[in-house]
Amino acid sequence: MLKNYLLLSWRILWRRRFFTGVSLFGISLTLVVLMVATALLDHTFAPMAPEVRQDRTLVIFNGTLIGPHSVWRDGAGFQLIDRYARNLANVERVAVISFPEEVFSYPGGTRVQSSLRRSDAEYWRILDFEFLEGGPFADQDVHNGSRVAVINAATRDRFFGGTAAVGRWIDTDGQRFRVVGVVSNVSASRPVSSGDIFVPYTTAKTDAYQGRLLGSFMGILLARRPGDFPGIKAELASRVKTVPMPDKDYEHLYAPAETYFESVAADMFGQRSDDTSHAERLVVAIVVAALLFLLLPTVNLVNLNVSRIMERASEIGVRKAFGASTGTLVTQFIVENVLLTLIGGAIGLVLSAAVLKAITAAGVIEHARLALNVRVFLYGLGLSLVFGLLSGVYPAWRMARLTPVSALKGAAR
Amino acid sequence: MMRHLLRIVWNRRRANALIAIEILLSFLVLVVVLTMTVYMVDNYRQPLGYVYDNVWAVRISINDPEEGVGTVPRDRTPAGQRERIDTLMHLVRDMPDVVSVSTVMDAPYSRSGWVSAIATGGRTYEFSANRASDDFATTMHLTLARGRWFGAADDGAAWEPAVVNERLAREMFGGQDPIGRIVQPDPPKTASVRQQPVMRVVGVISDYRKGGEFSPPTNWLFYRSTSAPPTLGPGVPRNLVVRAKPGTAAAFEARLVERLNTNAPDMSFRARPLVLARAAVLREGLPPLAAVALVAAFLLAMVGLGLTGVLWLTVTQRTREIGLRRAKGATIPNIQHQVLGEVLVLTSVAVAVGAVVVAQFPLLEVFGAVAGRVYLAGIVLSVGCICLLSIACAWAPSRLATSLPPAEALRYE
Repeated sequence: MLKNYLLLSWRILWRRRFFTGVSLFGISLTLVVLMVATALLDHTFAPMAPEVRQDRTLVIFNGTLIGPHSVWRDGAGFQLIDRYARNLANVERVAVISFPEEVFSYPGGTRVQSSLRRSDAEYWRILDFEFLEGGPFADQDVHNGSRVAVINAATRDRFFGGTAAVGRWIDTDGQRFRVVGVVSNVSASRPVSSGDIFVPYTTAKTDAYQGRLLGSFMGILLARRPGDFPGIKAELASRVKTVPMPDKDYEHLYAPAETYFESVAADMFGQRSDDTSHAERLVVAIVVAALLFLLLPTVNLVNLNVSRIMERASEIGVRKAFGASTGTLVTQFIVENVLLTLIGGAIGLVLSAAVLKAITAAGVIEHARLALNVRVFLYGLGLSLVFGLLSGVYPAWRMARLTPVSALKGAAR
Repeated sequence: MMRHLLRIVWNRRRANALIAIEILLSFLVLVVVLTMTVYMVDNYRQPLGYVYDNVWAVRISINDPEEGVGTVPRDRTPAGQRERIDTLMHLVRDMPDVVSVSTVMDAPYSRSGWVSAIATGGRTYEFSANRASDDFATTMHLTLARGRWFGAADDGAAWEPAVVNERLAREMFGGQDPIGRIVQPDPPKTASVRQQPVMRVVGVISDYRKGGEFSPPTNWLFYRSTSAPPTLGPGVPRNLVVRAKPGTAAAFEARLVERLNTNAPDMSFRARPLVLARAAVLREGLPPLAAVALVAAFLLAMVGLGLTGVLWLTVTQRTREIGLRRAKGATIPNIQHQVLGEVLVLTSVAVAVGAVVVAQFPLLEVFGAVAGRVYLAGIVLSVGCICLLSIACAWAPSRLATSLPPAEALRYE
């Protein structure tokens, strides 16, 4: 039965090549836009090496001090993490890592710009970096404030022309570090793991960071099980409530442990970031934006389909006169439309792959390797089906309402 | 003629409603994209107010343990730092390639900013504030419209000298000469807020577009940075701007940073030519706009093709009706005008509805910072574009309508 539907659909699409072409143009490019957007979101938020334990990882990204007249929002301070986020129940490991900081070096007199991050040794145990050479620095290095560094492959290229780097020295920001390891590049869209040069946090020029409640660090918490998130969040929140206010201007401190998606949502929707409904609102906003974007292509496709029903009125009349039920015809029409969108989806996938390749090649996001993966492909397939159904229902309904006699006369109105 | 057209459109209202919705949606897309474009072009054409060639900006991180939450209020800087930064400034001035050097709170193309306001005479004026030393105007080649920049004449004065940009001068003083005007701030409403000092406007600069060419023009007010502690706002300007002789080699930067690092090993310095800072800002700002424009172009191409297809089918369906009209003496231009006229009636209806919708945008503050004239220009351009688009789409179908001789058209199935 389905085979019949498909065969018939194929014939009809082929007979009217111009209109099929116009429809396919719209469908495939619409899906390209949606798929590229999906791939970008996926690339930013989904688990990806070295953040392979993302389902067990919570991060304290920001702290917000709120007072009657002023709000101060900044990264988490070292003191906040060190004094209040350690020894939480069901947390296996805690790491600190500073937000990326731009530093300049002048090997051979020309400027090299790198993003420098200061971390502890736990960081390397929570994240699964791929080491091309050497290894991470150890707890002892952090304790001693050793001037050692882990660099990424791009930095190795910039400083040493791609030759082996372990044991060699790099000068940056007025300090000299010995390279102990080289890791693969990580896309700049990953705030937890991207960076060019990683050094122990104890190598900071002064110990100013130690007293800061808000500052330039993020705290990474590795839970024992994914299900432990609510408990950890609650315990941290109750501890943060006990933090004495640093300044009489402020009355509350918020410093939630969250996923990166939750953090972005909190940035977009408000300052009081211990409210977890922000993430749901962001999901809703993304879906609404996608549907709004789909509106115009859908109306366009509905328009084309409706016009073509008029053209096919006599065909429908004949089929009805020979006993085809409304259900059969509606199915026929929806199958036709879904087939069309699936073909469009296939073209769209190929085009999306090309567009993503172009974005990667243009280096819009540093070190990003954008590609279609299985997840994005499934999203694309789902999107095609939704789009096909969305644009097929109204024309099918119009068609079902035709009476055989008027349809035979071609008087569809 | 008009009445006749309206009746024809009304008779096919259901099919036409879909077309009108499609035109309406395209119109809304056009309004958003063209308003954005006009806004960017308009901003680009405004003068920058400074000259960025041959200037290096050096950002200084002080890393002071005393500073930050809990110990010293953020808006005051521990004693001794002003002197140290003054010393560094003099060290840079002594370098052979340097023409002039100055300190400034927020250098051109930097991301940080200080927003402030003054309440005087019952009105509140908001502006971006900045603090710079006496050589800033010569270093940045600021365009002075009236009066003078800060200098020795301001030493020991009873008021805080201020330089404003033309936009703020217009807002505060209307058409009157701002030079020498005393600004007496109203007493603060709550006791905890410090009373702002009395100010005197000593000069007017054309502008200081810190965010670069695409940034929206804002009000600016400069305070003078001296070795005395400031009476208000953040303390020490932490950027040096250095104007070098034209043709200074890139190696100059390495020498500059080396010199600073040697003299202040506890501080961090990030030097870069403003040309590069500008390139980075432009690189960041353009891709989102380009992506939006690209998506909009594709949506319009799709609508164009779709609309052509729909009109084509409609005309084909109405071959007999058109044949009848021609048999009754309508000329070829008559028929073509009728097809074009019908489309234009639909477009007008869609644009009329669209106008009501877009009139709500400013009320809902969808385009926050966009000036009324920019928005109006965007709308007028959109109306023009949508009319051109619908005429272009109706052109080929209107030709088709008259391609068959009347006798054949009457018999057409």
